[in-house]
Amino acid sequence: MTRIIDLGLLFSTTGPYELMGRASRAGALKAIAQVNADPERDIFFKSVERDPGGDIDAYAPLCEEILNNSSARHVIGCTTSWSRKEIIPSLERMGGVLWYPTPYEGFEASDRVVYAHACPNQHLLPLLDHCFGSYGKRIYLTGSNYIWGWEMNRIARELSGRNGAEVLGERYVPIGSTDIERLVDEIAVLKPDFVLNQLIGPSQYAFLDAMAALRSRDPAFAGRRCPVLSCNLTEAELPALGASTEGVISAGPWFRGLAPALPGNEGRQDFGSSFEAAAHASVMMLARLLADTAGAEDLSLPELLALPGAETLGISARTHHVTLPVAIAEVRNGVFIPVKTYAPIEGDPYLTQIHTSVAQPLLRVVK
Amino acid sequence: MRRRLCIPDLGSARAVILHRPHTVVTALTRQLQAVGLQVECFWPELPAVARAADYLFIDVDTAHDDQFPWAPGEAPLPTIALIGSEAPGRIEWLMNFGADAQILKPVGDNGVYSALLIARATFDARIGLAGEIDTLRRRLGQRQTVVQAVAVLAARGKSETEAYEQLRGMAMAWRVSFEEAAARIMSSVNGPRDTRTNKGSDLG
Repeated sequence: MTRIIDLGLLFSTTGPYELMGRASRAGALKAIAQVNADPERDIFFKSVERDPGGDIDAYAPLCEEILNNSSARHVIGCTTSWSRKEIIPSLERMGGVLWYPTPYEGFEASDRVVYAHACPNQHLLPLLDHCFGSYGKRIYLTGSNYIWGWEMNRIARELSGRNGAEVLGERYVPIGSTDIERLVDEIAVLKPDFVLNQLIGPSQYAFLDAMAALRSRDPAFAGRRCPVLSCNLTEAELPALGASTEGVISAGPWFRGLAPALPGNEGRQDFGSSFEAAAHASVMMLARLLADTAGAEDLSLPELLALPGAETLGISARTHHVTLPVAIAEVRNGVFIPVKTYAPIEGDPYLTQIHTSVAQPLLRVVK
Repeated sequence: MRRRLCIPDLGSARAVILHRPHTVVTALTRQLQAVGLQVECFWPELPAVARAADYLFIDVDTAHDDQFPWAPGEAPLPTIALIGSEAPGRIEWLMNFGADAQILKPVGDNGVYSALLIARATFDARIGLAGEIDTLRRRLGQRQTVVQAVAVLAARGKSETEAYEQLRGMAMAWRVSFEEAAARIMSSVNGPRDTRTNKGSDLG
């Protein structure tokens, strides 16, 4: 008999990171439709959706509303670390589980969260490794003034020290600010080999525009010199950015054109970005855990991950981080072109394991 | 001065928990293993092998001095206090025993990683300071030797200031501390007598 299971969705479809939120939501809905259309499965997901609209203070109350007003124990949601940290106390109090499908800066392993997108050893470490080798070791760090940028740049500084690289400068911009002239002026003077950019939303858009202007007026920045790096730029945001993204190098678990997508996608790759793919994979992995076990919807996350066969999903029972492939891609003519892929690696949120990234031939690129 | 945190190598680190079997231990163990540490639990006694661990968690609610194979204040590893009761008597015990970081009970979903970082940094700073204080104490104790050495040099026809400068020059030439140079001068003056005295007492 088919069990109807409430499933929470908590993404912002408006506000400063709406493009990311919408991409994640689309992936989750795609998976819900896929699960519900499958007559072989004994479960049917009924989505219970709330939209915080990018308001940080709306996340916890809306999450509690989902957990209170429905039988949902699992919520797919959140785009920022800030909002994730806001709802964890609610999850603890009310017995909920969050499937968090976007990249983040690591240093967390909640018993109530599955981290389904990349953490630093799956994005920043391979990206820096690639760029130290290809562009040089004089680098510049920038980011929005909050935890993502601070922590990612701290890791970059530490790695630079270990790799004999030199950090020429480090500057932060308030979230939402487009006042980035001083930043670009400094880069124009310092002429680093590359810029690690952890800016988000409008700041990143303004920064990329200003860097494009710099490239057109200063030959030292022309062509592919001094590229801008990102650990969270995906196809989801390209339409908002236009030509200024040309040459941006980004790292993530998947880019369009690579096949297969994520292990949790079960062979499917019709996604717009890794945000969409990771949200789809989250729902599909949850469906695998809940299917064929009556009452599984009431189990805690550790109990679910201890079920027979659960380990094949690639969710670590120790850290709740997912084993993911790593790809590095560069924007050329407005499209992300994968330039390097690595074999899937286990998420290591506290960077306490030994890291040896194994490059592998570029995965089959599908037309 | 801005302190840059030196992140310890936690991937191969060992943590020891001294606490009776309890959900606190389960929650702590989960967090420690997620970070990458190996965990061992002991109760009620802490065996001497615990000295070799990298971190120690203690239950302030029930702890007493006899549980530990070292004197209060002399923990040889970073110690993290698990505090339940905030009764002043327990806090007083903790202040005497010493801890490098604390976590309030009940232990939930987080808090262990930051406690590890703070405990390690505090412990290292504490050990560093203790070493520095030792050195300073020793130098302070050698004040008399310095005065004597300056007097010996001055007795050879120098002013006190000149003798002082000469001693400084010797310390620099020998690449030793001022106090060590003074001690060398005094032992060269007193040396033979000292040796005789020692021999005498050995024989005695």
